[in-house]
Amino acid sequence: MAGTAERMAKNQKQVAISEFFEKNKHFLGFDSLTRSLITAVKEAVDNSLDACEEGRILPEIKVKITKIDDKKNIIELQTEDNGPGIPKRSIEKVFGQLLFGSRFHAIRQSRGQQGIGITGVVMYSQLTTGQKTHVRSKIATETSAAIVDIGLDTRKNKATKTNEGRELWENADGTLKEHGLEITCRMKAKYQRGRQSVYQYLRMTSIVNPHADITFEDPDGEVHHWPRVTERLPRKVESIKPHPHGIHLGTLQRMCTESTDSRMTSFLYKNFSGVSSRAAKELLAAAEIQEKAKPKTMKPDHVRALLEAFQGERMLNGKVVKLLNPPTNCLSPIEELLIKKGLSKTIDSRFVTTMTRSPTVSQGNPYQVEVGLIFGNGMAADKPVEILRFANRVPLMYQQGGCLLTKAIESVDWRQYGLDQAGGRGVPKGPAAILVHLASTNVQFTSEAKEALADNGEVMDEVRKAMLEMGRGLRKHLEKKKKMVKVQEKFELVNDIIPAIAAKSAAILDRPIPDLAGSITRIMGAVIAESTTVWNKETKQTDVAITLFNYTSRARAYTLLASWPEREGAGMEANKTGGRKEATGVWAWKLETLEPGQTYTITYSLSGLEKGDWTETDIFYRGSQEVIGASKMDEKLLEEIRRQEARTEEDQLEDVSDQQASEAEASSEAPPPAQENEQPKSSGQQTLMGYGSDA
Amino acid sequence: MSASHTPEETKAALHEVVTEMYDKIVKGEPPTMTLPVRTKNNIGFDEKLGVYKYGKKRSVRDATSLGSAKQLLRALHVVEFIEEMIDAGKSSTLREMYYISEGWGLGKFSSQNESNNLAEDLEVVTKCLREDFKLRPEEDGARMIGNLTLRERNRRGEWMRINARDDVGDSGYGVPYNVEEEKIELLEHDINFIMAIETGGMFDRLIENGFDEAYKCGLVHLKGQPARSTRRILKRMSEEWDLPVVVFLDGDPWSFRIFASIAYGAIKTAHISEYLATPSATYLGITAGDIEAYDLPSDDLSTRDIDALKAELSDPRFADGWWQEQINMMLELGKKAEQQSLAKYGLDFVTDTYLPEKLAELGLA
Repeated sequence: MAGTAERMAKNQKQVAISEFFEKNKHFLGFDSLTRSLITAVKEAVDNSLDACEEGRILPEIKVKITKIDDKKNIIELQTEDNGPGIPKRSIEKVFGQLLFGSRFHAIRQSRGQQGIGITGVVMYSQLTTGQKTHVRSKIATETSAAIVDIGLDTRKNKATKTNEGRELWENADGTLKEHGLEITCRMKAKYQRGRQSVYQYLRMTSIVNPHADITFEDPDGEVHHWPRVTERLPRKVESIKPHPHGIHLGTLQRMCTESTDSRMTSFLYKNFSGVSSRAAKELLAAAEIQEKAKPKTMKPDHVRALLEAFQGERMLNGKVVKLLNPPTNCLSPIEELLIKKGLSKTIDSRFVTTMTRSPTVSQGNPYQVEVGLIFGNGMAADKPVEILRFANRVPLMYQQGGCLLTKAIESVDWRQYGLDQAGGRGVPKGPAAILVHLASTNVQFTSEAKEALADNGEVMDEVRKAMLEMGRGLRKHLEKKKKMVKVQEKFELVNDIIPAIAAKSAAILDRPIPDLAGSITRIMGAVIAESTTVWNKETKQTDVAITLFNYTSRARAYTLLASWPEREGAGMEANKTGGRKEATGVWAWKLETLEPGQTYTITYSLSGLEKGDWTETDIFYRGSQEVIGASKMDEKLLEEIRRQEARTEEDQLEDVSDQQASEAEASSEAPPPAQENEQPKSSGQQTLMGYGSDA
Repeated sequence: MSASHTPEETKAALHEVVTEMYDKIVKGEPPTMTLPVRTKNNIGFDEKLGVYKYGKKRSVRDATSLGSAKQLLRALHVVEFIEEMIDAGKSSTLREMYYISEGWGLGKFSSQNESNNLAEDLEVVTKCLREDFKLRPEEDGARMIGNLTLRERNRRGEWMRINARDDVGDSGYGVPYNVEEEKIELLEHDINFIMAIETGGMFDRLIENGFDEAYKCGLVHLKGQPARSTRRILKRMSEEWDLPVVVFLDGDPWSFRIFASIAYGAIKTAHISEYLATPSATYLGITAGDIEAYDLPSDDLSTRDIDALKAELSDPRFADGWWQEQINMMLELGKKAEQQSLAKYGLDFVTDTYLPEKLAELGLA
């Protein structure tokens, strides 16, 4: 009986924390058995990714889910990373304290804006199974790993530690693990497949974290592996101070209370971005607050007045106090090429187009929109396209319909870009997936569940613009594909069918096989260009072959031009035909006269690229007779590109040494010529450049 | 009169098709196959034969597109296949040929419809029959019942004498796919006319009610759109025995087309209309007028029905006044009725009242 009493007493102590959980579980992400598991995985994986990013480590993450008791829905979750690990003394803090490390002052784009962190997982495990969470942590400076079982003292909101110790942490191959963290916990949860599943969460995570290597072993023992596709770590995010336009009353109040500054002027100047010392004075004047006043002593009325001055509701001499925009270098977009790789690795398909818009500011918060679209085989053609939503690299898996990102997709008339869409509104249908990523220091959600983005006209516009640009790319691709199909058909016709007809008819009539040249020339009556762009596993280069066929009855002479990713740092190798550079990213070959029935093949390889970087080569020609499979060179456009290059070259001369910087510059500036001439010629520009930087 | 060709004639005709392709290649041109246009726009009444035949419009299928080039290649494979069958004394069904084409590589068919059409194309071009090609349809022929006697050569090559009233069960005499003279001889009969019936239900009703004996007629079940052999045997009985043929169908636009294929020739087989069509056949019912006169249970015309009727208005086979009137009447009425709707007045109504009245109009009862 004593046992019962003890248990009851224990239960009573837990009432407070259980109640907290019970009341808030819907926005903590623990409202159903299925979602609880996803949330737990999410908290652990997000932590691992953040830790690796901060430690500048390429993440290797393993997730394993095991069914312990099927009837009672008990599941064991184990996650392991190769992050920096957590020093022994900090483990209890990280795992055992609610809202540890909340960052009110450090405004930057971070994953950890959602949920209550890994502590929630520890708590949920303890509440549902009574089990403690086993933690193993190894930091680089120590030889052994620290191990400990973490529970929660729900009364004191503190971690309890048991079975503390140290052990050698061996990798599967017997070597010692350098650094990393492993968490093992048991909880009441349910593993499910489908659109809202651990699998889908990890898959989406791998798309937007192309630098991560993620392995997932599901309860059936099946191992899913999403390999790393780039060695490049995400740009380190700088923290910025909050901007007055984006701050809420509560936060401002709290900042005042916690401030140790002696004067309001320095408080404003030091703690906010976009506030010069002059602006600080003007803001205070508008709010009728003494410059010398101590922030700690601010009354609620003062704080409110200050907020009104921030928002331009209180003016100075009839004028709104002017503030600078916040810096945007605090954002870490995934960047086009990496999204492309991420998408290609999880969805096996043909065409990928991506776009990273320039960062901008809405209500004091810097934000940046990135989109990607993948189209082709392997996806259902008659179903709605898959929508992959992300906020700060975190997959959003619930409430798709109510999300701003979805609404932006739905507002585009996709029919003009080659997808099916009833009435030109709503989620389009077709073999495609659309990715939208919003990076921001302050992501606005519709609710505490943090699964859907709240409406915001400016963000909506940005997403729409990106979608339209991407749609144009898709349309071009489809048109090109259609053309290529026609060319392929012609080839099949003259290379296979006509010879077969000749052979068969000769056999039936018992006559010699006739010469085909005349018939073939008559059938084709054209010059045809065919190109292949394939990744060569052995040489780690991209091999390109361009063949020109003269199927006309006259001799023909051409200059062929091809796009190549020079801007992205590729090198042109083994180009035996020679030729010359026409402009950045455009190579030209003047070919000798092709006699009727003759073919000529140009081959070269591109070095310095990774698999999937360059999959389509655009072919252009100069010459009088049309070439099927190539476009006539638009000389005006080429001229424009050359002029633009001359300009950027001048700009970049100042800063060649720091490659990182020039890259950032290229992606943030790179004004496309389209901005100067009003016609929507930018898509033509993009074709020449392949995946241009930012258009 | 026989439609058949000797194996040598057939081969020579097929070789002409092949020669056309071969010679074009030799001349440095894309290979071609020339064939009559097979639509209602290219059928016309042949005064001499009294049926509708293809007109002079020709279409040239040339190998400048992948699709038609493949058609030519397939045609060559089919020609080769037919020659092999002729030489080996075998025959195959169209469906078998479709499956055999799996082994033809680039020349294989992608649907059975394609192989059926190509077989017809070759018939049209060579003026041979598919029986000459040793190709059989899967569709089985009709059933017949009545006091008529014929001889059929069985698989052992022996002639069997069959009376389609006394020597058959309730399902009647099954018409084989080949009804040419080498297979079937019409011997004698004691009937006054032949009635072709669209549905099995009505065919069985008439048999159960003893209509064939009471009215001294032969009953032929068409099974919807009648097979070639059904049309052919109707034609032979009508001509060789000099018997009137009346056609009893549902009252809808599709029945009109069935009748046209029996009496005037089908668009798809207009190249052999003179072998298949029975110009003297008469449409007995159900007419649009019957629907009103007998107050028959009816359905509204669907959009497809209406489109079909409108298309029939410009079909040369329906150009005469009676048909124009019938079609317009049905359009006006907006109704169609099935044969079985006559059962509204009881099972015997059709044999006791409707048919006698209709036949009386034609002077057959």
